[in-house]
Amino acid sequence: MRKYVKIYLPFTLNALKRQMAYKGAFYLFILVSLFSSFISYYLWKAIYTSSDQATLGGLTQEEMVVYVFMVYVTSSIVMSSISNYVSEDVVKGTVAMNLIKPIDYRMSLIAMAAGNMIYRFLVPSVAIWIGLEIYKVTALGLRPVTAVEVLLYLLSSIMSFLIYVLFDFCFGMVAFFTTYIFGMMLAEEALLGFLTGQLIPISFFPSAVQRVFDFLPFSSMVYTPIMIYLGKYTGRTAGFMLFRQAAWVVILYVAGGLIWKRVTKRLVVLGG
Amino acid sequence: MIEVKHISKDFVTPKKYPGLKGAVKGLFSNEKIVKTAVDDISFEIQKGEIVGYIGSNGAGKSTTIKMMTGILSPTRGECLVDGIDPNKRRKENAQNIGVVFGQRTQLWWDLPLSESFTVLKEIYNVSDSTYAERMEFLNRVLEMQDFFDRPVRTLSLGQRMRADLGAALLHNPKVLYLDEPTIGLDLIVKDNIREAIKEINERYQTTVVLTTHDIGDIEELCNRIIVIDEGKKIYDGSLAALKETYGTKRRVSMEIRQPEKVAKLHLASLLNVREEECSVNYEKESNTLSVTFDKHKIQVPQLLTAVMSVMDIKDVQIQETELSQIVKEIYSHGIMEG
Repeated sequence: MRKYVKIYLPFTLNALKRQMAYKGAFYLFILVSLFSSFISYYLWKAIYTSSDQATLGGLTQEEMVVYVFMVYVTSSIVMSSISNYVSEDVVKGTVAMNLIKPIDYRMSLIAMAAGNMIYRFLVPSVAIWIGLEIYKVTALGLRPVTAVEVLLYLLSSIMSFLIYVLFDFCFGMVAFFTTYIFGMMLAEEALLGFLTGQLIPISFFPSAVQRVFDFLPFSSMVYTPIMIYLGKYTGRTAGFMLFRQAAWVVILYVAGGLIWKRVTKRLVVLGG
Repeated sequence: MIEVKHISKDFVTPKKYPGLKGAVKGLFSNEKIVKTAVDDISFEIQKGEIVGYIGSNGAGKSTTIKMMTGILSPTRGECLVDGIDPNKRRKENAQNIGVVFGQRTQLWWDLPLSESFTVLKEIYNVSDSTYAERMEFLNRVLEMQDFFDRPVRTLSLGQRMRADLGAALLHNPKVLYLDEPTIGLDLIVKDNIREAIKEINERYQTTVVLTTHDIGDIEELCNRIIVIDEGKKIYDGSLAALKETYGTKRRVSMEIRQPEKVAKLHLASLLNVREEECSVNYEKESNTLSVTFDKHKIQVPQLLTAVMSVMDIKDVQIQETELSQIVKEIYSHGIMEG
């Protein structure tokens, strides 16, 4: 274990340092994604005021505000893409440079994604999170979050991160067959926005659809940690949800390993 | 150290048709083309050898190297590097080898060079004391200290190549693969790199496999060369033997006193050989007569006596066929089939 940390920690630190080297791009990213959070905030506000029910999909208007901004906080931590690294490595042929080293390609990618995650967590997310918490208690009049909820939320978010990167690795493997996956990455993002509950809480879907979602890993990526944070999953439900997340981590880990084995068999390194 | 046994690699690509019509047709057809990049190649390389692996562009050099490093899996056959099959036990093999691909870099593009070395130190599990000792050695032979703290993207090609070579050697690999290590470098940097490779080979008995298009690299470094063409091995042996076997042409240039007598010189009949075995060429401006012949058929004194029997000679120059000439002929399929 210590050896693993020693080998892959530099990848994490390098990703961190790289983020700092390209600050402009990063702040632009924060601004743009925060902008879309405000759009959905005003959308939901309009929906709630024109509706005669106080709760929609099990959430009050106040809870929905928290939901919208927690989507921002959570997905900017969790969704640290690695398929773009894979696609770059395949297009430029640099995947060869990774294969000549005694390291596991997937682990090095995950370590890099972890670096990005830490940076995003420290720089914008924590500040926005704290701001949201203050706003929630003072302006919205909701109860403050408990320490247990925060801990469970963080635990669940880390699992969400693992589920996302392991899934994204499997997705990135497509690049080895098609070479170019930019278009597919856009499709992936759009689809995930829908399936993970980023755009609409999953409780808004018809119950039959929700049943199907139960058997897919996507709701575990964003929806689960936010529900824990909102106090909608407590006690045994929360335990079950965390267990389900852990199961997805194992399944996607094994699946990714198998796919990688097949990919290296028919790998073609481009250029030179 | 390296055993390559009947290794082959096929690349399968979908068939493409020309033009817009072809592009549309390509959407619906499912035809595949199989191209054999490496075709049944075998060789063995001993510890401490420096082997030049040469061939024209697209001959299959890089593909072979990629199979030996474990990046590509061979379609047929196998290879063993220090007893390990790089394809089955890639990570173990990676610990034993160092690789430099001249066209790309293994360094972290956005970070200072020093960071790349720190990462490599951890990846290859190099201890602090070994690291210090190695860095001292590498800095001496590759002179990296001037740009050690600069981001890799700001390095010049020569600096980057030296840094890459250093990075490949940090963990003291048993085998060093160099894929065109001197491509695009100026003469002085080329010389430095060659010197460094030589010194590393002597000091650590590192086995070096080198592909290159630079004849200078081969002449200065390699004691053995393997030539491949269209995926097949066509020569494997020492450099001297290659020259001995294929470099049999010799050229003698003579500055002469009586240019008017050139027409009277019938060298072939004087030497008792066939016309095509000694070609004569006279250049009016410099007043030189040059004769190209097979050195096993005609001796130089014999030739000079024959010429001098007709005219006087002011000056003589003898040229052996250069390696570049031999290689050029091999590439254009001249020698091997003849």
